[in-house]
Amino acid sequence: MTVDTLINWFATMGDFPILAFILAVVISGIPLFLVMALNAMIAVYVERKVSAFMMDRVGPMGQGPGLHAGKWGLLQTAADAIKLLVKEDTVPESSDKFLFKMAPYIIFIGAFLGLAAVPFSSSLQVADFNVGVFYIIAVGSIGIIGIVMAGWASNNKWSLYGAMRSAAQIISYEIPAGLSIIVPIMMAGTLNLQELIIFQSGTIWGILPNWIIFNNPFSFIAFFTFFISAVAETNRTPFDIPEAESELVAGWMTEYSGFRWAVFFLSEYANMLVVSGLAVAGFLGGWQSPIPGLFNTGLWGLFWFMGKLGFLIFVMMWFRWTFPRLRVDQLMHVCWKVLIPITMFNIFGVGIWKLIFG
Amino acid sequence: MSRYFQNIYDTLSTLLTGMSITWKHMVNIKRDNVTLQYPEERWPRPERNIGFEHKNYNVIRSRLHVDIDDCIGCLKCERACPVDCIKIDTIKSPTRGEDIPDVKHTGETSNGTKKALVVSRFTIDMSECCYCNLCTYPCPEECIFMVGGPNSSKHPIDYEFSEFDRTDLIYQFAKKLSTEQKDGLQKPLPKAKA
Repeated sequence: MTVDTLINWFATMGDFPILAFILAVVISGIPLFLVMALNAMIAVYVERKVSAFMMDRVGPMGQGPGLHAGKWGLLQTAADAIKLLVKEDTVPESSDKFLFKMAPYIIFIGAFLGLAAVPFSSSLQVADFNVGVFYIIAVGSIGIIGIVMAGWASNNKWSLYGAMRSAAQIISYEIPAGLSIIVPIMMAGTLNLQELIIFQSGTIWGILPNWIIFNNPFSFIAFFTFFISAVAETNRTPFDIPEAESELVAGWMTEYSGFRWAVFFLSEYANMLVVSGLAVAGFLGGWQSPIPGLFNTGLWGLFWFMGKLGFLIFVMMWFRWTFPRLRVDQLMHVCWKVLIPITMFNIFGVGIWKLIFG
Repeated sequence: MSRYFQNIYDTLSTLLTGMSITWKHMVNIKRDNVTLQYPEERWPRPERNIGFEHKNYNVIRSRLHVDIDDCIGCLKCERACPVDCIKIDTIKSPTRGEDIPDVKHTGETSNGTKKALVVSRFTIDMSECCYCNLCTYPCPEECIFMVGGPNSSKHPIDYEFSEFDRTDLIYQFAKKLSTEQKDGLQKPLPKAKA
């Protein structure tokens, strides 16, 4: 189910191209937004619980709705959302009001556009581009404009520092991310996400699923370099120097509150979904079953894709609650002196591998 | 060059060590959990070791308690209180020394004193109480006392006495009387025939 099929379907019912286009976009956009909101709700709850369990705490708990946050704190996210929505929405007096108000929407648009190309199953994808990988990498950079806008418009030293750090970090880490994702593109010979996933069907040596991560040693390394860069691109710990709580209060989000802050939060979790989706589609076989040839049809595809996505998001949380934050110079060191040489080497390695075995 | 790869290897191995530690903590949460869900769960109270016999220690000041069936409404404790946190209202009993089952009033104290007054209100504001114990000495019936020490057999010790609402710290000891019941007690006795 893509926007194109919807537009074509409307076209069979009459000649109203603009209306059909708007209808198709709205019909496919609303579920996408629901996925985004649902993902944030579940991820916030899971993140609270995972962080608590890793610190020997129990996290949000309660005996029932009312005084506490529901059984096992299940209503905690709902309570958080209500709290955010009823909070006072402050705009600093000396801020650039227009940019200040625009920034959350630009960040949100960046995350939302990326989500549009994520292939949730063989038929469930809003926009099936023939340049899907390139598209996701490209719209992933829109968010940084919003971050710099937010940091500049807030007229606050912490916000500005956070925004500058975020810009430096995301621009740096897009290079290893892009160089890593070139490996599956070289192997499959396509930028289309569906074709990339179909390339990964079948088995290696009759046992392992033919996912790109298992295909050769270079792609195995490429997955990890991509995942590390992806974590850095979503500004999560250990790469969270843009919003380092102990140094910069909340980084570029310092002056935001209420709904605007909630939009930042939503976009952060949607970004996790997008980069994990790209990692799953590019390296982990997308909606292909881990048992080759079994449970591979219909809704099972959605199940496998969401399962792999959930696992990668869990690993991001695992990272966050295990590793200490990197210093700015260490961050740049990891990117320019470690990840980029490795990814360059990978590209050459995969090229030679393809010449010999492919 | 080898230093470079050694660095990468060290980084990855230490990161994996850290991740395995957090993973172990996460899967063993049932065993390692340190949080107590406070109002539902409490730490066990440690045995009190004060260096000498428990029953000889007479000055444990936990909180005040009143055995209201023994109270004769003499107001001595109210006058003794330095912070005026005890408030007592009384109504003259129509029948001295006899039970009034209607308002659950007992006529005699456990010491055998016949009560002339019905205590309609006996409140102690525990948020104001300064635990000076001065109210317990004048009581002729020994019905107001500090919980704990030799009195722990009379009333269980609650070390926390936390409440959700501040007004819940005003302890009500007298039995609740409705307005009609109060009016019924204050009604003048029928005059004897001349």
